[in-house]
Amino acid sequence: MAAVSFREVKKNFGKTRVVHGISLDIADGEFMVLVGPSGCGKSTLLRMLAGLEDITAGTITIDGRTVNDVESKDRDIAMVFQSYALYPHMTVRENMGFSLRLRNDRKDVIEKRVAQAAKILNLEPYLERYPRELSGGQRQRVAMGRAIVRDPKVFLFDEPLSNLDAKLRVAMRAEIKELHQRLKTTTVYVTHDQVEAMTMADRIAVMNEGRIEQLGEPLELYDRPDNLFVAQFIGAPAMNVFDGKIKCENGKAWVEALGTRWPLAGVRGSDGQAVKYGIRPEHLRLGNGGVAAEMEVVEPMGTATELIVKVGDGRLTVLTQGRSRAAPGERILLDPEAHQAHVFDAASGRRI
Amino acid sequence: MSPRRLAREAKLWLIAVPVLLWTLLPIYHMVLFSLSSKESAFSGALWPDKPTLRNFGTVFRQEHFYLHHFWAQIWNSLWIAVAVGVLTLVVATCAAFAISRLKLKGGRTVMNAALFTYFIPAAFLAVPMYKAMGAYGLLNNRWSLVLAMVTLASPYAIWVLKQASDRLPWELDEAARIDGATPLQLFRLVYLPLMMPSLVAIGTYALLLAWNEYLYAFLLLSHENTIPLAVGLAHFLASDDSPWELLMATALIYALPPAAIYYAFRRYMVGGVTSGAVKT
Repeated sequence: MAAVSFREVKKNFGKTRVVHGISLDIADGEFMVLVGPSGCGKSTLLRMLAGLEDITAGTITIDGRTVNDVESKDRDIAMVFQSYALYPHMTVRENMGFSLRLRNDRKDVIEKRVAQAAKILNLEPYLERYPRELSGGQRQRVAMGRAIVRDPKVFLFDEPLSNLDAKLRVAMRAEIKELHQRLKTTTVYVTHDQVEAMTMADRIAVMNEGRIEQLGEPLELYDRPDNLFVAQFIGAPAMNVFDGKIKCENGKAWVEALGTRWPLAGVRGSDGQAVKYGIRPEHLRLGNGGVAAEMEVVEPMGTATELIVKVGDGRLTVLTQGRSRAAPGERILLDPEAHQAHVFDAASGRRI
Repeated sequence: MSPRRLAREAKLWLIAVPVLLWTLLPIYHMVLFSLSSKESAFSGALWPDKPTLRNFGTVFRQEHFYLHHFWAQIWNSLWIAVAVGVLTLVVATCAAFAISRLKLKGGRTVMNAALFTYFIPAAFLAVPMYKAMGAYGLLNNRWSLVLAMVTLASPYAIWVLKQASDRLPWELDEAARIDGATPLQLFRLVYLPLMMPSLVAIGTYALLLAWNEYLYAFLLLSHENTIPLAVGLAHFLASDDSPWELLMATALIYALPPAAIYYAFRRYMVGGVTSGAVKT
């Protein structure tokens, strides 16, 4: 187990800079998720940590040791790939024991550790099978087993669940989290799926265009996004965001947008400032509030109902618990929760 | 069967049957002659009245002027073919691995050069090759033919193996590197096993190329004891009164090993070993 730290890490591919000086400290035993849209540099960052890409500038340390010029095999890391990357000509047992074999461990030691990992991952019945004889979820578990047997300082996951179907993804998500709670190995996990990030991470680094937009615990990011990008990236259904202007009068402030008044808790910003007003779907209550809206689409999901409503010329998503009897075309009133509203500067996108 | 499918099927048969006949006719002739006695060989019958295996006995016992070195010559053929197959594989596999997996600088140039050599017919190089082998003092030595054939077979072999290497998932190399494999271990423990079908196919290609080679063998080797059987067979035609039935019996024997090799390795010509490595 070990702490990992990035110091002003930069990466260029040819003349294109894809990682712009990232600094990030990952604590010993922490589950860190790097999340962001494709091309944001999260995989590149992980691959630099793995030693699969050169580091253009900056330093990366694992357990206090600078690893910039250390070969992958000497970094004491294990990686799980999106495509699993199992050796097709080896059985599950051989796949899992391969790194130990290369390390010249004794046969009985290899045997013991493979058996241990197989037990943890419920792979015991499949040890003599070849990867082509396994299902997607089983292959994924073998890839994890290959990582576990080495007892590395750091686990790296590169979108490990992207190739699984939705149901299996949820199951494997829980398995990986459980595994981490059990082994307590420092883990860096890359994904583009914010739900995975939210559910698994101790802390999340939201990345965009080679920079970290915000670093924090999942709910911190959800409740207080630093900027528009994080606000819109985290959360499903996504936050409603629309243009408006701050109005201040008699020590009260609100936002004028979509032809109506949107409440703010306390006074923020200055009178007349152009802003983006953001409010999550579950913070728009149906009821006797001040915003008139027209129902457009009703999407029942069982435990909750998602409504698409029209306010002025904007379309907003509303999430209500339980079921809704509302019908399309119906006129309703929305009651935005003032203390849950987010305002961002229209120009910079920064939180106000 | 619908009329349209029937028509399509019929068209295929119309092509297949003539092609099959065209291919089988010489083989039929070879078998026919080899089973006929000297007198009946040119009788014009579609099948000999009294088929005989005597010709094969004559060949195996080397009981004819042209056959005095039969066993030595078939041994030469085998020796040369196997040596060419093995050497070509070594050269081409190392090249393909270095270019495709280790991403060696200048790899593209090597590939382009390999492609370029296709444009030069082997016959153009025969005389220069003869001069070169002479300079090395290798004329009339089996190694001269082996080296010449490896030279001719390698570009194609490198090209094919490079293409096959490129199809191996790159993540396997990365996984192996993280697992602690050195490039040599990667080559031995991951690359070679996965390339096996292509290696067998290319090895067979080079082996058969050398087995069937006539021009270079004729040029570089001249002693009765060093020539392969392909050249030995041609000696039959040196006189006006060629023993055709013995020639054909020998030729049939000469044709059997390639057929056997194809049959033995047909499984490898298909591939499919990498399935299950990565999700596709």
